[in-house]
Amino acid sequence: MLRLSTALVMVLALPATAEDFKFAVTTDPQTMDPHAVNSAPVLGFLNNVYEGLVRRGKDMSIEPSLATSWEPIGDGAGWRFNLREGVTFQDGSAFNADDVIFSYERASSEQADTSSWFAPVSEVVKVDEFTVDILTTAPNPIFPDSIANWMMMDSGWAEANNAVRPDKDQGNYATLNANGTGPFQLVSREPDLRTVLEPHAGWWGEVEHNLTRVEMTPIQNPATALAALLSGDVDFVNPVPIQDVERLKGNPDVSVVQGVEARVIMLGFDQQEGAAESGQGAADMFLDPRAREAVAKAINVPAILQTIMRGNAEVASQLVDPSMRGYSTANAAPYAFDAEEARRLAEEAGLTGQTIAFKCPNDRYLNDEAVCQAITAMLAQAGMDVSLDTMPVSNYWPELRADNFDMYLLGWSPGTLDAEHPIRFLAATPNEEARLGSWNFGSYSNARVDELLPQIQSEIDDSARQAMLDEVAAILQDDVAYVPLYVEPLVWGVRSGVELTQRSDNFFILRWVTVNQG
Amino acid sequence: MLSFIIKRVGQSILVLLITGLVAFSMFTFVGDPIDNMLGQERTMEDVERLRQQLGLDQPFIVQYYRFLEQAVQGNFGVSYRQGRPVAEILLERAPATLELAAVSGIFAIVLGIALGVFTAIRRDGVAANLIMSASLIGVSLPTFLIGILLIYLFSVELGWLPSFGRGETVKIGGWSTGFLTESGLKALILPSITLGLYQMTLIMRLVRSEMLEVLRQDYIRFAKARGLSDRVINFRHALKNTMVPVITVIGLQLGSIIAFAIITETVFQWPGVGLLFINAIQFVDIPVMAAYLMLISVMFVGINLLVDILYAFIDPRLRVAA
Repeated sequence: MLRLSTALVMVLALPATAEDFKFAVTTDPQTMDPHAVNSAPVLGFLNNVYEGLVRRGKDMSIEPSLATSWEPIGDGAGWRFNLREGVTFQDGSAFNADDVIFSYERASSEQADTSSWFAPVSEVVKVDEFTVDILTTAPNPIFPDSIANWMMMDSGWAEANNAVRPDKDQGNYATLNANGTGPFQLVSREPDLRTVLEPHAGWWGEVEHNLTRVEMTPIQNPATALAALLSGDVDFVNPVPIQDVERLKGNPDVSVVQGVEARVIMLGFDQQEGAAESGQGAADMFLDPRAREAVAKAINVPAILQTIMRGNAEVASQLVDPSMRGYSTANAAPYAFDAEEARRLAEEAGLTGQTIAFKCPNDRYLNDEAVCQAITAMLAQAGMDVSLDTMPVSNYWPELRADNFDMYLLGWSPGTLDAEHPIRFLAATPNEEARLGSWNFGSYSNARVDELLPQIQSEIDDSARQAMLDEVAAILQDDVAYVPLYVEPLVWGVRSGVELTQRSDNFFILRWVTVNQG
Repeated sequence: MLSFIIKRVGQSILVLLITGLVAFSMFTFVGDPIDNMLGQERTMEDVERLRQQLGLDQPFIVQYYRFLEQAVQGNFGVSYRQGRPVAEILLERAPATLELAAVSGIFAIVLGIALGVFTAIRRDGVAANLIMSASLIGVSLPTFLIGILLIYLFSVELGWLPSFGRGETVKIGGWSTGFLTESGLKALILPSITLGLYQMTLIMRLVRSEMLEVLRQDYIRFAKARGLSDRVINFRHALKNTMVPVITVIGLQLGSIIAFAIITETVFQWPGVGLLFINAIQFVDIPVMAAYLMLISVMFVGINLLVDILYAFIDPRLRVAA
């Protein structure tokens, strides 16, 4: 009874006390400029400071932000966005259509790293003070989905501080300072050391968090970050090394938040005709789809997840995961593990007796090197001879670009969270001018996929679009264009008493954080 | 003396130029910075444009020449990762490393000499033998392990000291110091011990063996026969003669305290130049790597030069030979 009443008192004592919150990240955002670098650490952090016309909710669905509503205009001519009134930037100036036009010009400029988002856009037109039309060259059903990270900057502020265009190489005022409309404002920025945020008093939204000050510190060494969490020096770390998860779960002072990231890990193959590797393996060994199928069937993905990921990841069947738009439920079955069948296929395809050059990064994805070693061993079980070569990611991409591989590991996180995205970047026949297939290192090519892609991009009707996406997913599976392995796990560590929401794009959204003081 | 110094300076500059050449020839192996600078939606066109803009399409000799050309004018370029001038970043980071190095250097020298003399004088004592055995730990355990053990014990288990970082710092001019705040001083303890432990045991063992050697000399025996007190014999006559080789080693070790602070800084997330260098390697931030390596080699060469000159002052025989 006494214990019960104590518990009651504690619950009553809980509500909203002001909180100083500290968290650690592995990678410090390179810049505070929302248009200069299109990378997750930058966009994830700046989502707390800047806002776009639309934003993603807790379940990653698109919801209104600086635009209250939007609708397609004309016959697929573009989209009309009705802007929120009464929004102010952190320096006090008002937000209106001119800032949208300015942010479009800034984010789509050659100096910006975000310009590819606006490739389908022909013009942005100010209709009135709070209405903007974004015209596209072709009907574009997923345009609102693709601009959730396009953040609005105040034109007056940028002009006054000489930061009208982003400057990646030399940096400018916007590299170290920020002025958004978001729930938190930048108080101080010391690159690589600490970045301090405080709530923006004039924010338009309803405040859910109870933070009064937020400090972000980069800690690169995972052991140090974990020690900082355990000793209470920080309240949140991301990621927690998979091997430490069990140990943390036994500690009452901290808790582990687990989920999956919107990133599918897969194997790719060199499918370019007559591409002789630099002395490694034979040319064309993976031109035969049976050879790729042999690899797909030889890998026991659940076993890898059980041992290396300690049960923290999910098997993937296609290039997107079930939470994403355009996922093909008709093609949800992953390749079945069958070592005997794999051995037979490998022999038929002439893969047996050749050495497969398998390239793999060792610092890009969670436990990537261990996964590749397991794959190498599994392929050996099915009679395939694999020579594994792992390297840091800085050396990895140049190696793939130079075509020095027969097989490689890749993780893909679609920026639009839509099935069209990986088709455009991974499955379309590489075409520099059309900006297609820029990450299709193995030069996979299928005429039907290339034909369907533009139709998918401009199809307004959802069910017709899904039918085409299903067809592409089936083709990719039949061709074994890639071997999807699993969806990357997300493991966050947090002090007990902190409530937060884990979003599958691995963004840490501070306005959903509350700290309960016991 | 002057010709000796001029000759040594000339040699030093040659060493610097060769170090730079080797460094630049290695950068191509570290990887390609372009992928780290552009997002996943970049095109090949963007990649090539940026490569050209940064001059990375040129052979390393040309890149090295351009670097030297700018460096002699005091311009070390702009960091690929932070988009800020490298010189500015290095100046911002240097106080952290220098303060850490100073504290661990003093810790190593004071404790190293004191314990060395103690173990030499009380050669057969229990305490001296205990210290000698314990010093093996300092010599044989790798720095990162000592660091993690200290963090585990004093931060996680006992909660006495911070697990990472520098604590609060105070800015005096352009120099940010951790000496003036309580959290800053507390934050210095663990990293200083981690960084200084190896040097401390090294100095201690060196002082001990040199001192034992000196204590066997005839002049010590004569001093004893003259009836001088132990204190005078040990500290005025023996210690002074022990110090000649010890100073050389201390000088060289000071350089390595700064250069090898990299590991300690990584373990403790200490925001100094070593951590900056590690981050630069991961990102392939060539301007930062180049400036750091040149800075470290200037420092090493400079310290060697100083030690040589100091040596000549302490030992008159070298002066004559030069």
